[in-house]
Amino acid sequence: MTLGPPSSAINLKKASSQASSAVPRPPNNVTIHPVALFSILDHYLRRTDSQDRVIGTLLGTRTETEVEVKSAFAVLHSETSEQVAVDMEYHRTMYDLHHKVNTKEVIVGWYSTGSNLNTYSALIQNFYSQETAPHQAIHIALNTGVVEGETAGVKAYISSPVGVFPKPENCVFVPVPVELRFHEAERSGLDLLLNTATTSQPISDLELIETSIQNVSSMLDRVLTYVRAVLAGEKKGDPAIGRYLMDTLGASTEDLERGSFNTSLQDTLMLSYLANLVRAQAEVSARLALIS
Amino acid sequence: MATQTAATSMAAALAASLPAPSAAPVTTAPTYEAIPASMSKVIDIEAEIPLHTVQLDGLVATKILKHAREAPASTAHGLLLGLDLDGVLEVSNSFPLPHGGDDDDKATKSLARYQGSMLRSLREVQSDDSVVGFYQATSLGAFFNQSIIDTQAIHQDKLRHGGVVVVHDITQTARGNTSFRAFRLTASFLDAYKKSNFSSASLISHRLTFSSILEEVPLKVRANPLLSSFLGALAEPSSSPELGGGSKTSETFPPNFHVLELGATGLTRNLEQMVEAIDNYRTEEGNIAYLSRQIARERAKAENYVAKRKEENQARVAQGLAPLPEEDVTRLFKIPPEPSRLESLLLLGQIDAYAKSLGGTAGAGLVKMYGAKAGSGGV
Repeated sequence: MTLGPPSSAINLKKASSQASSAVPRPPNNVTIHPVALFSILDHYLRRTDSQDRVIGTLLGTRTETEVEVKSAFAVLHSETSEQVAVDMEYHRTMYDLHHKVNTKEVIVGWYSTGSNLNTYSALIQNFYSQETAPHQAIHIALNTGVVEGETAGVKAYISSPVGVFPKPENCVFVPVPVELRFHEAERSGLDLLLNTATTSQPISDLELIETSIQNVSSMLDRVLTYVRAVLAGEKKGDPAIGRYLMDTLGASTEDLERGSFNTSLQDTLMLSYLANLVRAQAEVSARLALIS
Repeated sequence: MATQTAATSMAAALAASLPAPSAAPVTTAPTYEAIPASMSKVIDIEAEIPLHTVQLDGLVATKILKHAREAPASTAHGLLLGLDLDGVLEVSNSFPLPHGGDDDDKATKSLARYQGSMLRSLREVQSDDSVVGFYQATSLGAFFNQSIIDTQAIHQDKLRHGGVVVVHDITQTARGNTSFRAFRLTASFLDAYKKSNFSSASLISHRLTFSSILEEVPLKVRANPLLSSFLGALAEPSSSPELGGGSKTSETFPPNFHVLELGATGLTRNLEQMVEAIDNYRTEEGNIAYLSRQIARERAKAENYVAKRKEENQARVAQGLAPLPEEDVTRLFKIPPEPSRLESLLLLGQIDAYAKSLGGTAGAGLVKMYGAKAGSGGV
């Protein structure tokens, strides 16, 4: 489930001996919630003309080995050829405000758009490392894909100092695998955004069922063509696929045929009648109040 | 290259390098660009074009989803920010409000401080900072309650276009059908609310039932082009060579078939909630009936008194005596004010919403059951 384009970078992991008790182990996996991604994109859209990239703070939770980025907010910064500046006061205020609503989310790192890592990135990384100490700050580089020839994607990094005398402007960004993670329940909300540019609300249940069934039916068609091709000897069968198919399609429908179908049908019908009855009563009651 | 090495000095450097972003709006004599002819029709300074659609940005939709899921029960609420253009209210950002447990003065003040400081901060990074309404998470479609009405009534007074309330149903979302709906108070309800008069007479004159408290505004969810293209790139189908082309599965967004789940979960809870609402309604009706009886009793007493006094006076006039003065009966008998029907109106609305969601679930369940039966071949 990698989000970024395939990269040839090596994922370096520190040897366990190095992870002494004082320094927590660096995360070896980063997950990111859609809200954070969308906030970054929105911030990018609202940048001023003079800004090449935008940066901001990432909030989330961390466990022993994993960092979960849950939201993000924009931070003011300026970059010139001579210097970089981050509005720390703004960052503090925003963090306090976010903290008031969601006490579980803490600063885990920072984001920037575009995928070039430079001296300034190292400096900002150094600043955020102080914010997240003793944990390591993570850096999310989000490529919006608007520059020709670059693909959209997300990359996550942690940093490690480099050189004989470590300096803040020098560091190695070590890539970390990153995943998009959201709750099952939020999936349908993302579907709204995935399908078309604009969707009217609300969608009726039946429409959703219809699209789902069409989806399943097209999947079955695809499987069927594949199986036929294998049977006809045009393709070589993959045993793994075969096993999956057997597990999925071997489900029995015996329960349906026994009496339970009818009883639960009756229950559902009863509920439907009851609901209609209650609605009618409520309506009558409201009308009666008007004539008394 | 004089790079700032110490991170702590960055803020100081900012003050020097940035042309004080907060001071930007104070620039002398802003030059107004002429409004192009194509836009002159859609720009209304006086908010004269009525709203006909609410457009929710993808960012806002996901923010509400996340907040509603993480907040306990259905307490999630927050403010919506955006702009209106040619009758379309574009909601482009939102932020959650902290859940104030007790409604005392201190909590209200800190809430106002939080709101102000959040709006200021958002303005600094070029976000929209005009409040256009609020959102409220709810379960099982029953969002009628006193606080939502109070807040919206305040908004409708203060905000441009009166603002909207966007209601997000957690239960529907858990079933795989994300639902956002936008509402505003109707004019007749607002009129009655301003007079804070919800007696039967007022209900009749305003023709208020629970269905005429709020009017729905059509709502659309929109993903801006950048978001669309980004999601598109993420959801790029990973071509599975084994199963041939036309594969639409993607690893980032695995398909989800929650909608096809046969067992209708949460029906029991729905029923319980409905029964509870009906119980509450009965109690409320009992209260009102009791109050009405009391009023009737007091009124009868007062009328009796007046009639008696009149009789007495007639008798005195007949005897040639001066009639006793007609005293003010309202001072002698305290007739309680007529009870407000708002609470029972809202409860009825809740019952209706619960029943509606129950009916909807049951209906969809029936379709799925027959579908499954037809699919399994046994009819």
